[in-house]
Amino acid sequence: MVSNTKKVKAKDFDIVRSAEEKRELSFKDDICIGCGICEKICPVEAIELGDIGAIIRTGADEPKIKIDEDKCVLCGMCNVGCPVNALKLKIDDEPISDMDIYPHYISSAEIDDDTCVYCKSCETACPREAITIARDLPERSKLVTGEIEIDKEKCINCGICEEMCPADAIDMEHKLPTSDDPTVASDINVDKDKCVYCLICKKVCPVDAIKAVCRSCSYGVYDLKPEDAETKGSSFIDEEACVNCGWCQEICPVDAAKVEKPFKGELSIDTDKCQACGACVDICPCNVLSFPRPTKPGEIAEKISKDERYCIYCGACENVCPVDAIDVKRTEIKHTPTKSKSWEKKLESLKTKT
Amino acid sequence: MELKVNQDNCLGCGVCVVACPVNASISPEVAGGHGSKTTEVIMMVENGVIKIFSPEKCTKCGTCQLFCPTDAIWLE
Repeated sequence: MVSNTKKVKAKDFDIVRSAEEKRELSFKDDICIGCGICEKICPVEAIELGDIGAIIRTGADEPKIKIDEDKCVLCGMCNVGCPVNALKLKIDDEPISDMDIYPHYISSAEIDDDTCVYCKSCETACPREAITIARDLPERSKLVTGEIEIDKEKCINCGICEEMCPADAIDMEHKLPTSDDPTVASDINVDKDKCVYCLICKKVCPVDAIKAVCRSCSYGVYDLKPEDAETKGSSFIDEEACVNCGWCQEICPVDAAKVEKPFKGELSIDTDKCQACGACVDICPCNVLSFPRPTKPGEIAEKISKDERYCIYCGACENVCPVDAIDVKRTEIKHTPTKSKSWEKKLESLKTKT
Repeated sequence: MELKVNQDNCLGCGVCVVACPVNASISPEVAGGHGSKTTEVIMMVENGVIKIFSPEKCTKCGTCQLFCPTDAIWLE
């Protein structure tokens, strides 16, 4: 007997059909961007998109999609259609995303570590917090050269150098004077790993107790190795969270990030209809949309601004707009080939009819 | 999900009426902070409290809930 069973874990679910071959469809609510492509592509109308606007904006305790396990035939079309891999079908524990017989979107995001300068712009810009840049900064002491010495006989323990040092390299051990040792400090030392030979201490010392010289500008080039100034690191993209929006590619100052998007298309906003409620701004998984600020007093800014360089044409904004002011057209769907005519047709149906 | 109100919490400030994008497209003057001229809108303040007129027009975007200072209007 073939039967589907559905296990619901909080907002996620698993539907399992146990027969000769085991099929399991899993949904991860936190990855879902609420675009509604699964609802459109499902051949048996088993999927219903929730009220995404309210769910995302008010944090309502509801799943983003609902699935009817009696209707679901575990075909995997929703898995193939989902642009962010929130839905996963496994056949006998093997994900269909690993099987060549099923079509897949052609999309990717990569950071080339050889080109990357580890500036972290992409990490900051990524709307899905999918990027982690780990960097090792060079040692400061290897980037400067010089000499410093404090004449402890001359030093009057005033602490001015310690207070003025911008690199926090001078440490004075303050103490209260006693009758057997009537001094205000027991010792003073310079941490040569921290000192940058700026010579502020030398200039500020009221009794000329500090001897210091900076060699960086004179013949310091011979002392310093350029490789010691290099920031080393590594980059990591969380494939589960990444939606291939292109922010990393656009913001990277050295062209180290490359993104390939599965869809091409066009996003248009009817600003006459738009009431600037902000639903699209909150829902967009790619930070394509924003409210512009006026640049001078009295100026009336545009209602809404968009930058299509970051758009993945998922259509979530169009679905959520309460006043039908947004139109998302998909003109190209990039996917690996499939022998099945019906699958081809279904994927093609995601294109906007013109 | 359904649009719900709690008139006991409502202060009658009308922020939800003005913030609602559907209201503003039905009765454009509400976007400027004016009261609606028609009862065609989703909700309006009547006798000092919020009242829902056309719940079927609500697209559940959540804007009213985000703006209400007293949790008197929400989607559930």
